[in-house]
Amino acid sequence: MSAVTVKVRKPGLKAWLRLIQAEAKMVIRDYAGLIVPLGLPLLILVMQGISIDEMDQELAEGVTVFSYYALPVVISMVVATIAVINMPSFLATYRKTKLLRRLAVTPASPAMVLIAQMVVSFIQVILGIGLAFAVALLFFGADLPLSLWVALAVLLATCAAMYGLGMIVASVAPTPNSSVAIGLVAFFGIAALGGMFGPADNLPDTLQTIGAWLPFGAAVEAFQAAWVGETVEAQNWVVLGGSAVVGAGVAAVLFRWE
Amino acid sequence: MTEQLEQNTPLAIDAQHLVKRYKHKTAVDGISLQIGRGETFGILGTNGAGKTTTVEMIAGLRQPSEGSVRILGLDPFTDRAKVRQILGVQLQQAYLHGSLTVRELVNLYRSFYPNPLETDRALSMVQLTDKARTKFDNLSGGQMQRLSIALALIGQPRVVILDELTTGLDPKARRRVWSTIESLSDQTVILVSHAMDEVERLCNRVALIDEGRVIAQGSPHQLKEQTQSATLEDAFVALTGKDVHDDEEEDA
Repeated sequence: MSAVTVKVRKPGLKAWLRLIQAEAKMVIRDYAGLIVPLGLPLLILVMQGISIDEMDQELAEGVTVFSYYALPVVISMVVATIAVINMPSFLATYRKTKLLRRLAVTPASPAMVLIAQMVVSFIQVILGIGLAFAVALLFFGADLPLSLWVALAVLLATCAAMYGLGMIVASVAPTPNSSVAIGLVAFFGIAALGGMFGPADNLPDTLQTIGAWLPFGAAVEAFQAAWVGETVEAQNWVVLGGSAVVGAGVAAVLFRWE
Repeated sequence: MTEQLEQNTPLAIDAQHLVKRYKHKTAVDGISLQIGRGETFGILGTNGAGKTTTVEMIAGLRQPSEGSVRILGLDPFTDRAKVRQILGVQLQQAYLHGSLTVRELVNLYRSFYPNPLETDRALSMVQLTDKARTKFDNLSGGQMQRLSIALALIGQPRVVILDELTTGLDPKARRRVWSTIESLSDQTVILVSHAMDEVERLCNRVALIDEGRVIAQGSPHQLKEQTQSATLEDAFVALTGKDVHDDEEEDA
């Protein structure tokens, strides 16, 4: 006896849109997925605005001290909170509740959820950066980067690097709680060494060097270069690209759908 | 329709000598099942007997250590994409996107299939029309179960696997779920359960599984006759020497 003939029809655009919509509704209706990545960077932005001396002084033509130090940190924070804390906790929750397993018995693969999550979190990144920019422009007279296209390229590289780190967190965390704990520690670790609590130049030399080899520090340095129209150092690109590659590699080996 | 069945179609399920070994345990030890098209087939056993592992191997969720599975002649691992289109599965204790409403979930899952049921029909089939705007997290256990069944049926599958269909439901909810299953006339249904009354009512044939092996197979009537028992539960006790309710109490 031969098998039945089935013409395979993979889930199409409608399925993708429904899944992205579903992930977006999960984030919006849960609030936490919005409050932290949108609210925390704003608080840090205001704190930086308070603590930076002579923030109106120009470092390059049309670029103030505030824009150079605060905005690269805040943009990197928005990306990092979403990619390193939020996304892994969603994936860990889905794994624990067997939602991914449920999808594995439909024509949609669990990988579709992962991609839909990334699309939704990228939209969050854009919203978060837009909100931070709006506040920075309105209240602190911030400037756009002199090399706008380079800044956009750095943003994409930063997203890739942070998602790579996020996938490592999602791969090693056994539970949703541990995912949040590991994500928070990883986030504050790389952010503290990358200048979130004050300019990285104020750190001891060794910590400054370590910070520059981590994705947050590399992202901040790369954004700063784009802001004043300078060439982004090769080391920054290597760190951002390397983080993405290492994250993808670790996830390929360790990530479990269930 | 994207699917055309050939005239000489094979068995709905043909599982041959399935074995699943873990480090220190053999969960399934040489189970073979042949299930014809249109049958409602029960897999009955106490908790830990190997029922769920068996159907997970059939559904392609677990790779067997030994043996083979064919669903309408297709291998659930090598023909994964094809099998996903003709198979509907209701998993034991599977969760869904908790913040989505019932209607949103049905719409989401129907978008995965080439020829799905209409949303309203799926909802009315499991009596959830009045809960269409309720979030999954706010449903009762019985309503979650019924939604889970609707999602297993949404793609109009040829073969449906239902694992612990009514566990934890009150008598009224159980009867509603049974009515839904009884209304399926075209599909092959595999019902995994340790509820004897449910299996006796719904299934044409039953396999009794104990410690990873099939210890008896036949219609509920045949099994009762074989053991000279009044009920399927008595037949189960006679064949296994175990009382399924003792097992439930241990679990509790």
